[in-house]
Amino acid sequence: MTADIHALVGAYALDAVDDLERAAFERHLRECEACRLEADELRAASARLADGAWSVPPPRLRDNVLAAIATTRQLPPSGPVRTPAPATRPGASRRLRLAVAAAVVVAAGAAGTAVYAVQDQRVRHERTLAEAARASEARVRAVLAAPDLVLREQRLNSGGRVTVASSRLHDAGVIMLTATGAPPSGRVYQLWTIRAGTPASAGALGEGQAASVQIVDGLPDSSAVGVTVEPAPGSSAPTAPLDALVKLT
Amino acid sequence: MAERGIGRRPEHLAAVPGPDRAPDAGELLTAVARGDEAAFGKLYDLVAPRVYGLIRRVLRDPAQAEEVAQEVLVEVWRSAAQFDPGRGSPTAWVFTIAHRRAVDRVRAEQAAANRTIRAGAAAIDTPYDVVADEVAVRLEQRQVRHCLHQLTDLQRQAVTLAYYQGHSYPDVAKLLGAPLPTVKTRMRDGLIRLRDCLAAGVTA
Repeated sequence: MTADIHALVGAYALDAVDDLERAAFERHLRECEACRLEADELRAASARLADGAWSVPPPRLRDNVLAAIATTRQLPPSGPVRTPAPATRPGASRRLRLAVAAAVVVAAGAAGTAVYAVQDQRVRHERTLAEAARASEARVRAVLAAPDLVLREQRLNSGGRVTVASSRLHDAGVIMLTATGAPPSGRVYQLWTIRAGTPASAGALGEGQAASVQIVDGLPDSSAVGVTVEPAPGSSAPTAPLDALVKLT
Repeated sequence: MAERGIGRRPEHLAAVPGPDRAPDAGELLTAVARGDEAAFGKLYDLVAPRVYGLIRRVLRDPAQAEEVAQEVLVEVWRSAAQFDPGRGSPTAWVFTIAHRRAVDRVRAEQAAANRTIRAGAAAIDTPYDVVADEVAVRLEQRQVRHCLHQLTDLQRQAVTLAYYQGHSYPDVAKLLGAPLPTVKTRMRDGLIRLRDCLAAGVTA
């Protein structure tokens, strides 16, 4: 797995990876000093490509930026923190959030959308929905931070890809679907987990939806994750050929 | 504003030092981290054309580029104290923030507009040439161009499609009709070659 994920170092340095991959790669870097060195060097090399894109900005940009910084508070230095501040201090919790935020924010935002997509049909009450979204965000965050996270990925025949991140420690996984486009009207993407040869629905997207982040309990016990395009609002068993199959074992 | 009164020295506006070896970028950033607005003005002059140019190249739209460039430059001010010199040069840090923001914006828009990557396919041969045109005058730009020339075609295309157009590596693979593992490898060894060439110095 380590060697496998390190193959992404070039794509990572070029920002050509998605948020799941970035999160996984940065965890990999924390565990491998030599890898971090290479990643830093390749980042430095890619940053030099900015030299090739020199262009004079409009003069008002300078005025606007200087006006903005005059009213913008600066962050304290990061890095080795002296002593963990009491959790009750608002500043401390904010700092903690900031430190964690980078890898997680986008995935969490997408998780909210996905929860909406999957639960919209069943859960009408707005407050319930918001609570579910928050709970799911927190779980996605926890799973993606797992030390034993394994990432697998397949292309969708219909265009796009599906990424499966699973953690035995959490006995859960995250399925991220990013299709090039939504299926034709009246049809939806549906996710399946396959256990002992039998597919079970892991949720269907809404009509017109092309992206989803879905958390699945017990995912590491499944042998594969499948994606099909089903008649809306989804089927109880797959009725269409597999659009993608991600083998987990 | 404070820096207006201090009277910027003209050499700051005209200076064209090697970007990563800019004599004062590190000192400026240190001063900025302490809240020195005048230092920030100088840092702005040093990096803004590349920040704006890079974002504009990735986004294509000047109005959006201006908006994102402002966000990035304010972010540089805000998080200056978090720059870690152990992990790279100050300018690389700035351009990394800029590139990341530009790419995030492109991806968000791609998702929102549900756009296919067909538009990018037409441009597959152009990014490097366009870049080459724009860089002609400046020494460090010539060096980048020279070093991009040292890459194989596939390496160069993989690197420039990702960096200047903000494509993900699976999109780059599609655009180039190459397998995913090949594209990952080309991005890595392309950057390694670029790094070695840039480190070799002023062979522009």
